[in-house]
Amino acid sequence: MNRRIKDVVLRRLRLKDTWVICFVLGLIMMNYPFISIFNKSARPFGIPMLYLYLLIGWVFSIFIVYLFSRAARHDSETGRRP
Amino acid sequence: MLGVDLVWGTALLYIALLFLVAYYADRRQKAGRSITANPLVYSLSIAVYATTWTYYGSVGRAATTGIDFLPIYLGPTLTAFSWWFLLKKIVRISKENNITSIADFISSRYGRSQWLGAIITVITLMGIMPYIALQLKAVSTSFTIITGYHDFHLGLMERFYIPSPHPGFFTALLLCLFSVLFGARHLVSAERHEGLVAAIALESIVKLLAMLCVGVFITYGIFDGLGDLCNRLGAKDPALLARLTTLDGGENSYTSWFSLLALSMSAVMLLPRQFQVMVLENAHESHLNSAAWRFPAYMFLMNLFVMPIALAGILMTGSSAGADYFVLTLPMKAGHPWLALVAFLGGFSASAGMVMVESVAVSTMLLNHVLMPVVIRFTPQGWFPLLLINLKRFGIILVIFLGYLYQGIVGDSYALANMGLISFSAATQFAPSLIGGLYWPRGNKAGAITGLLLGFAVWCYTLLFPSIVKAGKWHSDLLDLGPFGLSFLKPQALFGLTGLDPWTHALFWSMFLNISAYLLLSILYGQGEKEKEQVARFVRVFAPESETPQWETKRLSKPVTIVQFVNLMSKFIGEPQAHAAISDYLGERDIDGKGGVSEFELPNLKRFVEKTLAASLGGAAAGAVVESFLSDIGSKMESVYDIFSTVRTSRDQSREALFVRLRASEIMNRSLELNIIMADLLELLLREFKLDLCVIRLLNDKGVLQVRSFKGEGGERITAEDRILEIDTHVGEAFLGQRTEFFNDTAYITKPIAKEIFQREGIKSFAHVPISSEGSPPVGVLSVFSRSIIGLFTEQFVELLESLAGQLAQAVGIVTEREAREEERRQKEAAQLENARVTRDLELAKQIQLSLLPESPPLVHGVRFACRCTPATHVGGDYYDFFQRGEDLVDMVMADVSGHSVGAALIMVETRSVLRAQMQSSRPTGEILGVLNDLLCEDLTRSELFITMFCAKYDSASRTLSYANAGHTRPLLFHKGAWQELDSEGLILGVQKDVDFEQKSLVLEPGDLLFIYTDGIIEAEGSTQELFGVARLCGLLSEMLEREPEQIIERVMAEVTAFSRPHTLQDDISMIVMKLVNDSN
Repeated sequence: MNRRIKDVVLRRLRLKDTWVICFVLGLIMMNYPFISIFNKSARPFGIPMLYLYLLIGWVFSIFIVYLFSRAARHDSETGRRP
Repeated sequence: MLGVDLVWGTALLYIALLFLVAYYADRRQKAGRSITANPLVYSLSIAVYATTWTYYGSVGRAATTGIDFLPIYLGPTLTAFSWWFLLKKIVRISKENNITSIADFISSRYGRSQWLGAIITVITLMGIMPYIALQLKAVSTSFTIITGYHDFHLGLMERFYIPSPHPGFFTALLLCLFSVLFGARHLVSAERHEGLVAAIALESIVKLLAMLCVGVFITYGIFDGLGDLCNRLGAKDPALLARLTTLDGGENSYTSWFSLLALSMSAVMLLPRQFQVMVLENAHESHLNSAAWRFPAYMFLMNLFVMPIALAGILMTGSSAGADYFVLTLPMKAGHPWLALVAFLGGFSASAGMVMVESVAVSTMLLNHVLMPVVIRFTPQGWFPLLLINLKRFGIILVIFLGYLYQGIVGDSYALANMGLISFSAATQFAPSLIGGLYWPRGNKAGAITGLLLGFAVWCYTLLFPSIVKAGKWHSDLLDLGPFGLSFLKPQALFGLTGLDPWTHALFWSMFLNISAYLLLSILYGQGEKEKEQVARFVRVFAPESETPQWETKRLSKPVTIVQFVNLMSKFIGEPQAHAAISDYLGERDIDGKGGVSEFELPNLKRFVEKTLAASLGGAAAGAVVESFLSDIGSKMESVYDIFSTVRTSRDQSREALFVRLRASEIMNRSLELNIIMADLLELLLREFKLDLCVIRLLNDKGVLQVRSFKGEGGERITAEDRILEIDTHVGEAFLGQRTEFFNDTAYITKPIAKEIFQREGIKSFAHVPISSEGSPPVGVLSVFSRSIIGLFTEQFVELLESLAGQLAQAVGIVTEREAREEERRQKEAAQLENARVTRDLELAKQIQLSLLPESPPLVHGVRFACRCTPATHVGGDYYDFFQRGEDLVDMVMADVSGHSVGAALIMVETRSVLRAQMQSSRPTGEILGVLNDLLCEDLTRSELFITMFCAKYDSASRTLSYANAGHTRPLLFHKGAWQELDSEGLILGVQKDVDFEQKSLVLEPGDLLFIYTDGIIEAEGSTQELFGVARLCGLLSEMLEREPEQIIERVMAEVTAFSRPHTLQDDISMIVMKLVNDSN
């Protein structure tokens, strides 16, 4: 089951469309109005909310690109074309 | 404060380390075992994006305007999502076209425009000034902070008076030296600079480690984490903390947030140094994969402690003044000068790496797009490579000193980050033409140039100009009132657009005008020929081979040899490199006898030369160099005559070509008559293509190419003459070489006879196509001539002609084969007819010959005769005769002419005539033979025949048998109860004249039996190759002594035939039986 999900995810990540979607999604989530949700002076864990949001979002997007590159590497290893 | 010599010494050691690393990387590159061609080094080299702006400036910005330092690094993370398709495409294109810089990339896309390249170079040079200035300023300021001196300084310097014209001068000088040594080692810019990359990667590690050290020390050493910092500042100044950590309406609004994102997103791709490391220094496309997350991760780590340091700085110093150098000042303030030294090294790394790559990248652009167009106007000389590399070094120095100049003017009036943003805005101007150029086929040169110029103008007016004015060098109220008091032209509120920060304002106006102009002009105007060619290579770089048309659409009007090209390349890139390049290219290609490549290969070769030169000179200049070289030798690229004007329906065939092939096979199938096929085919060629004359020559029996069919006007000399197979004629060469000979321009023909003919006939281009089917030698040559079109014979057209010739060869083959078969059948029929006639004649001859023998034996008293002649073939050489004289006397002759041919039969006839003449009178038998021998000898000798003859005379009155024998088989006589052979001396007839024949005689008695025969009986061969033999014959005859002679003959004949079965008789058989009967009967 796990393996199947992994396969499906890898296959989707190979699509150029997925890259574009993630790019657009990232652009939206980093801009007004989305960003205004976190634009508050509240400090969860003692850290300013917007700063925390951006750091977590940043790590998350790096992780996504990491998955992408795993998929792409997998792709180039198996020699299949997207 | 640290001792100046200590700082200087540490820096020197560090620089030495960098050189060592670079040297080692270069060594490894030469050895073919690169240390930089791996994803990690690639990712670290991209981190050259993090300069002193990141290192020092981010903290400054975080401490002054707050959280909006982040978009500068969030943007690149976002673009990492696009690398997999956008950057990969750029990398692929660059590698395939030997791109040397971003200016080269964009100008190549728009038809290798030299103007476009120059404009981009100028924009870059101007745009990059603040950025370089920022690095110089950061380094010299940090040096000042850490040592107290205003510039790089040596203890040694104090002993002499060295005037320092301005703070930062020596910094600039040092960085110049550094960049020249690292970046301008060799001329080929498209090659990877492994030493440079290795040094940058090391610097990236150093600056990250330094930043982390300082960050960890301040956040966790002095304070207790970020939460602690926030709490403390929150307690001290909550308003400040809120301002720094949220986006308010002021300078860090949502709009400016967006602008900064947009600026950084385009800058990370478009800054010359980013393009250099990401695209040109990329060793393998797959490295993009891991760099896409490693680079953002690096950025993340680099910025992790920016906010904490900024907050700590505010807490420790009480204000945000001098926040740009918190990284350096806080450790010192905390009493850790060694940590400050580490921080200084990190900052130095950040700046040195950036300046090196940037200056190298920009100087390459400067060389290729500004200086090269001037240089190539001169005739290439041997010292050009040396000149070019020195020009490149000069470019590096120029770039750095322009930055120094700007720093001198603007000085301290701008924060680090703000100076960097000016450069980002300039780089953003490339985005429309680059992205459009990659994905929009219609985008054209006019649009790109106009867009760039407008964008650049807006940038100058709204960002560069105000920055200089603000520095106070230009005491003017221009910023507040606008030029000439025109308030709508105020540089920072253009056309009354207010309420935006300067970056957003500049970004909006420059992009608005840039994109509008690009789109509008691209739609209004078309693209030139060169542009279209380039569009295919850029927009459709990932299109599979099969989708791109494989036919050349260009040809060189005058053929150029390989040597000429090599000489040209040598002048720009040096001789060894030129030779290496060309042998690489020619590796798997055919070279013809004249040391050139085929005409269809020439455009490819030309492109290769351009590409090779482009690696050093840039695409635009390389194109110009090759073009001027071609025009010098009187050649140029021109469009081939597109004989197939319609859209290609499939990969390799146009609709016309298909139609012609179809029609041709119809023609072949419709008729069996070769002349009709040839005439129709030529008619088709003349009608479909703009040809003036078509000739078909076929090889005839004498080995001459004979004109068999022609269509078209004129050309008497061509159509009238057959061609013998000589290499001196083009026809002969095509036939013997089994290869199509064609000339697209008869002006360059070399064979004198052909030249003369073509000049008189006014023929401009021609082709001789050998008519041959696959794998077999040609049977003729199809020649086509054109009087009007030069460059008619494209690869595609020649292939079509060859395929038609192939079809014709098959038709010729079929017709010849059919003719040969018919001929054979006719001959066979004639032979059969002849044979039948001969057989009939021979049958007739046989009848005649048999009729020449006596019809019946004579009736002689007391004797009974029987005789028989059975020729083995139609005619034979056996002969017997009786000559009866009165009732009692009879002469008998039995002869056998050697052989049983027609000749033998004729001789037999002659013998008979002669014998009959001689037998008019009765003579002794020996005399008869003698006379016959004399008469026949000559004829027999001449015909190489001879005759054996037995001659006997029987007198029934006295029962005397006298006989003579000329070598004939001895007859058998049953006399007195025993068999005896009658023998007498005598030579066979026809050997020599005057032979005496012995005559013998004996008296017979009733009951005696004489059997005269030819050797056909006793020499008859049985199945075991045993001969019939005399003994067997005697035995047989003994059984039948009482029988009638006729019966004896029947029986002997039957026995011999049975003996020799299953074979037929080989020789003629003749026999005479003479039986003496009792008187009483």
